[in-house]
Amino acid sequence: MPRTVIIDLSSHREILWAAEETAGAIRADQLIVASGAYERSVPFPGWTLPGVMTAGGAQRLIKTLQVRPGRRALITGTGPLLLVVANQLRAVGTEVVAVLEAGRHPRWPQFLVKARGEWGLLKDAFEYWRGLRRAGIPLRFNHTVFEAHGASAVEAVTYGPVDPATWTPIRSQAEQVEVDLLVVGFGLVPNVELTTLGGCDHRYALELGGWVPERDACMETSIPGLFAVGDGAGIRGAAVASLEGRVAGITAAEHAGLLPRAEADRRRAPFLARLESLLRVRAVLDGMSRIRPGLSELATPGTIVCRCEEVALGEVQMALAAGARDLQAVKLLTRLGMGPCQGRNCAPAMRSYLSHATGRTAAEVGRINPRPPVKPVRLGALARMTRAMPADDPFQATIREALS
Amino acid sequence: MTRASEIVVVGGGVIGCAVAYYAAKRGLRVTLIDQPRRGRATSASAGGLWPLGESIGLGCGVIFYKAQLEQGKVAEAGGPSQLPRAFLDFALQSKALFPTLAGELRETGGLDIELERTSLLFVMYDEADEAFARPLWQNCPCGRSLTEWVTPEELGRTEPAVTRAARGALRFNGDDQLNPYRLADAFRASARTLGAKLLPHTEVRNICVAKGRVIAVETAAQRIPCDAMVNAAGAWAPEIGRMAGIDIPVLPVRGQIVATETLPEVLSACISTTDCYLAQKRHGEIIIGSTTEETGFDVGVTPRALKALTAGAIRAIPFLEQVNVKRAWAGLRPGTPDELPILGSVEGVAGYYNACGHFRTGILNAPLTGVLLSELLSGAPLSFPLEPFLLSRFGAHRDTGASRVGRAR
Repeated sequence: MPRTVIIDLSSHREILWAAEETAGAIRADQLIVASGAYERSVPFPGWTLPGVMTAGGAQRLIKTLQVRPGRRALITGTGPLLLVVANQLRAVGTEVVAVLEAGRHPRWPQFLVKARGEWGLLKDAFEYWRGLRRAGIPLRFNHTVFEAHGASAVEAVTYGPVDPATWTPIRSQAEQVEVDLLVVGFGLVPNVELTTLGGCDHRYALELGGWVPERDACMETSIPGLFAVGDGAGIRGAAVASLEGRVAGITAAEHAGLLPRAEADRRRAPFLARLESLLRVRAVLDGMSRIRPGLSELATPGTIVCRCEEVALGEVQMALAAGARDLQAVKLLTRLGMGPCQGRNCAPAMRSYLSHATGRTAAEVGRINPRPPVKPVRLGALARMTRAMPADDPFQATIREALS
Repeated sequence: MTRASEIVVVGGGVIGCAVAYYAAKRGLRVTLIDQPRRGRATSASAGGLWPLGESIGLGCGVIFYKAQLEQGKVAEAGGPSQLPRAFLDFALQSKALFPTLAGELRETGGLDIELERTSLLFVMYDEADEAFARPLWQNCPCGRSLTEWVTPEELGRTEPAVTRAARGALRFNGDDQLNPYRLADAFRASARTLGAKLLPHTEVRNICVAKGRVIAVETAAQRIPCDAMVNAAGAWAPEIGRMAGIDIPVLPVRGQIVATETLPEVLSACISTTDCYLAQKRHGEIIIGSTTEETGFDVGVTPRALKALTAGAIRAIPFLEQVNVKRAWAGLRPGTPDELPILGSVEGVAGYYNACGHFRTGILNAPLTGVLLSELLSGAPLSFPLEPFLLSRFGAHRDTGASRVGRAR
């Protein structure tokens, strides 16, 4: 079903889908959720100025819209995507003044030992790094953005070193640079709205990007017949995602009675083995780019932390003073997370801020409960809801073909 | 009871917060224990203050009646049932407290409850709607002064967003709205300013009763000795009542609601039809409600309800077809067999007080509930007779578990 979004998932594996003109419900015996991830927002003074954009946003401008996002850029954040974007910007003629990586310098010898057998994963990163070297773009570890300045768009950026262990900004050593583009990439957050609505158990795993569904080795969640795969079940990248998809698909077919147990085991085995090997290397990469609590100290009371409802950090601090101890209480007091994005953008940063400020764990700080629809849908589409699948559904035809 | 009495209020929804506020205002020493549960009704309210509309079955009542009619569950006769006079008087008196209260809460708690004068319009589509509305207009229990028959032309002029297919409307002046979360927050913040203690995210484990008197309330972490406790636990009131050996005939009644994206001001009145009600809030979103379902503590939303509510909203306000849904969710109204709240003391357990069973009107009736409970707790004369609302109206309070909620009349 192309151009169709899933807007709700009930605990009995019934999904609600919506297209431009209509909507409907499907109950599945086996359901595989591959909901992907979205970019993490880190609020700092000036982050809402035009000219400040996420790494993904900059890539979209370059690759999809063929637009040069700026003339002179600073790139900040963490993870290998920063290097990718730096090379892409350079290729379209943007001057990149520096890449600021909040994490530490990878200790190559140790790293290479742990990465044995998975050189492919590193080769690309190495190529990007070499591109940067050749272009003379400095890559500064344990540095990050402190503030973006400008009247109606970004004109300059203050940045500086961070404490290597906590990423707390060391403001006494701040520097300033004039740029018209600031690219920010602090990694991805798993999109767990559907598995949450579906009633799956979740755990908080900072190294995987945040809340992730609990799964067994075959990708099945705590709800029988409901599988979660890919970055939506924990940020591990495309290679891992496609393996997880295969394992889940084989297992779903097994549950549905289409594959005998022994045959399913035989088919799963190579993918499971490869997953294990990949995950060993990922763990090292994840350790370097794991978000640290010191980033919470970048925002000031005047900094907008929820863009949908224009809530400033000062209002969150007032809510804390009024006794709020978790995201839900902050939401009700300030409207944080009550806009169209439902807290996708503000909740990860505010979770870490609240943890930092109250000394409570991420689990105690809790979550902003997702509500349907998790993607925008018009009243008109819901009003024309049917319970059946569209009559000439190409997807159904494909499945029938595959099974015949 | 002396001014130094220790009072524990169980439940941090709008009712518990109102009781804590008024009790603290009288100088009582109050501890408010709050264990937020998914589906608490305060968080799924539209914030309508409709004493007239609610008492004659508008809002959710008429929607539910029509659904029952379509399923053949009720005989065609006279529309949704009306609540007794005592309910209307209670609701009117509670409603009258809001203007002064809004100022008090702003001053004491620093929060604006976003009280708006809107009126409520029952928009009529067909003869059946008109036949239902005309006697309400002619014999409204409040008299003619607060109702107004609105012709299609007048309706088009005052509410241009409403469908031209309407045959006019019946307007109820004095039925207004506010922001329901803000009301609970403002009561809570003001109660704290006045010295009330708040225990957030704290579950009550036990109520200690000795020699027929409540002596303490226990949480996982501590035992709080007290002279009196108030059960304001909404749909979960039976759980708390049982701890004191009291059966409370409250059942969760699910109401699903839908909110639109933020819109410019397109509605000046709250709208009630036989399909849904609509209220545009200060922030710009339109809240569309609501279902009336006995489905236990399930707080999910259903495709059927989403379809019915959105179709009903588009029928009333056609341009909504092109508008995005921001969110749909559900709340659990604390329903009672006769749809009236359960207030006041219970024979045999001194120091135990009910402030529960507010069904669809917890927001509207929170102020007077708070006032009355604070009067009971401090031994002051009551500003409204409590008899129609006592638990004892159901007979033996240990034999009510089987009674069905609502629609018993």
